[in-house]
Amino acid sequence: MAGIALKNLVKSFGNYTAVSEISLDIRDGEFLIMVGPSGCGKTTTLNMISGLETPTSGEICIGGTVVNDLEPGERGLGMVFQDLALFPHMTVFENIAFGLRVRKVPAAEITRRVVAAAETMLIKPLLGKLPKQCSGGESQRVALARTIVTNPTVFLMDEPLSSLDAKLRVDMRTELKRLHEQLKATFIYVTHDQAEAMTMADRIVVMSKGRIEQLGTPLEIYNHPMTQFVAGFFGTPTMNFVEGVVEIGAAGARFCGAGLEQTLPASVCADLCGRNVVLGVRSEHVIIDGVAASAAGTARLLQPLGDATLVHFDTEAGKSLVAKVAPSTELAPGLPLKFRFVPEHCHLFDATNGRRHS
Amino acid sequence: MRVGRHAVLLAWTGVIVFPIFWMISTSFKDAGEWVAWPPHWLPHYPTLLNYAQIFAFGALDPTLSRQATEQAFTIWKGLGDAALVCTTASLLALLLGTFLAYAISRFRVGGKYFRHTILMIRMIPPIVVAISILIYYAIIIPYATTALLGVRISMFDTYVGLVLIYTVTTLPFVIWMMLTFIDEVPYTLEHAARLMGAGRIQVIRCIVLPLVASGMVVTFLFVFILNWAEFLLALTLTHPEVTTLTVLLNKFQSAAEGRLYGPQAAIGTVVTIPVVVLGLLIQKHLVKGFSFGTIRK
Repeated sequence: MAGIALKNLVKSFGNYTAVSEISLDIRDGEFLIMVGPSGCGKTTTLNMISGLETPTSGEICIGGTVVNDLEPGERGLGMVFQDLALFPHMTVFENIAFGLRVRKVPAAEITRRVVAAAETMLIKPLLGKLPKQCSGGESQRVALARTIVTNPTVFLMDEPLSSLDAKLRVDMRTELKRLHEQLKATFIYVTHDQAEAMTMADRIVVMSKGRIEQLGTPLEIYNHPMTQFVAGFFGTPTMNFVEGVVEIGAAGARFCGAGLEQTLPASVCADLCGRNVVLGVRSEHVIIDGVAASAAGTARLLQPLGDATLVHFDTEAGKSLVAKVAPSTELAPGLPLKFRFVPEHCHLFDATNGRRHS
Repeated sequence: MRVGRHAVLLAWTGVIVFPIFWMISTSFKDAGEWVAWPPHWLPHYPTLLNYAQIFAFGALDPTLSRQATEQAFTIWKGLGDAALVCTTASLLALLLGTFLAYAISRFRVGGKYFRHTILMIRMIPPIVVAISILIYYAIIIPYATTALLGVRISMFDTYVGLVLIYTVTTLPFVIWMMLTFIDEVPYTLEHAARLMGAGRIQVIRCIVLPLVASGMVVTFLFVFILNWAEFLLALTLTHPEVTTLTVLLNKFQSAAEGRLYGPQAAIGTVVTIPVVVLGLLIQKHLVKGFSFGTIRK
């Protein structure tokens, strides 16, 4: 059993702090995905868990034991790297067998386990080949077979799908999810691809500038972002943001900004009155129709996606927004339109620190 | 444009190849033709006398002995000494240099500019090294060992002395060359091996060294050639016991005939052969070594 606990973990390189006091409990058997832009500290955190980086301060516990002073090989982890790190001078068999040879497992046992791992990953015919003779997807499976063969309790994955083409990446997501179900091990997966995070994770950690912005299930992160950064990072296209102030009138709370007036949900606190806020609304919650409460704008660009069409338009005040509408829309660039936001799906963030006002 | 470029390249090839041609040609000439004017591009009276002379065992047969050459200058001693010293020194430098390069590449030993500093050491004029080492080898070490241990140990004119100085002087090249090869080995390969439980030494032995093997061959060859062709240090630090080929070449002169160009050219031709053969044998590794950056990661 291997839950992982990170306690006040800090990693500095000279004056630069890559990871700043993060604390995190990862449950046993969980598929946790760390996501964030480049340089947010997610890979550094993963490397500290693996033992490849030494924390500047803080504690790492695996299965209840502090492992700060243990060598990477003594932590019972398996890791898949971004570049896969297959040994180019060894055959696929030797690559998979390497960890077992290092542990001085008997030869017959090595063969049995390597073949079993190869069968699990459907790469048995590749065992005699060199990594350079394998395709991208095959190499990916070899890297996974090499990791599972030593039966680690925790799998660390550092953007393992980033080198694959879009189709293969989607297939491998399913494969990884299946592997997780099958092995029931703890998976910690690092990516900057929000789609990967949304589709595979039990929980997602969103990181920015060395800090944890939010920890939650994919739907919590998507529907209830705790900061403007998280709201902007998840979702395609990016959430629409409009700066303005909250006004409380007889009809309830309203948002006023960029020439727009938007009714806010009744749950918005009165003490937000007069505060500078950023209103966030996803494109699918921008409705383009002709009802009375709508504001006016002009369509600028249409992007058909097949199942929907993205309409990029400018408000009368010149603010650019995006709406996701049915593909049958009759809009065209340059035509006027009327739009409104769905009040229940409007998010308010503090204009200064980006935190959510719920 | 293309014709011009070819003309320049051809002319340059001529400049490079001419001395080698002249050396081989002279090695087959008799004494009278060595400095004939106008020059004899090819020997008019080809002879193997020069080769017979340098490959002779023991004292020269009267038929091989020239009128003016009283002494036998056979190649065997010089060849043996040069092979022993150059091979040992090159292997030693390769071993030390590879591990040093690994430390510099992976642990940034010596700081950011250490690799440049190392190469700068090679810019010291060799004579500066030669004289100071001579003082150590011939005076300080014998004096110190006599005073402290009661035994006179001299490094002057010894195989150990020459191997040590050759190792030290070629070490910067080995470090520099091996650094470029080791830098090319992705960190993640080592990380992966370490996560699988391999220790540092195991990682170096199983992952890094096999991947830089062709680089090591190239480096060894390069350093071997440097040592093989070295003259100043060998001349200064040895006499008469240890004699490398370059030093031997210098001894080929006689009172009556001056420089004995024929035997010198014959030796020159013979000592060039191992280097060329070595180069041909490891041609595959050379190409691989120099195109290492294209390794598929």
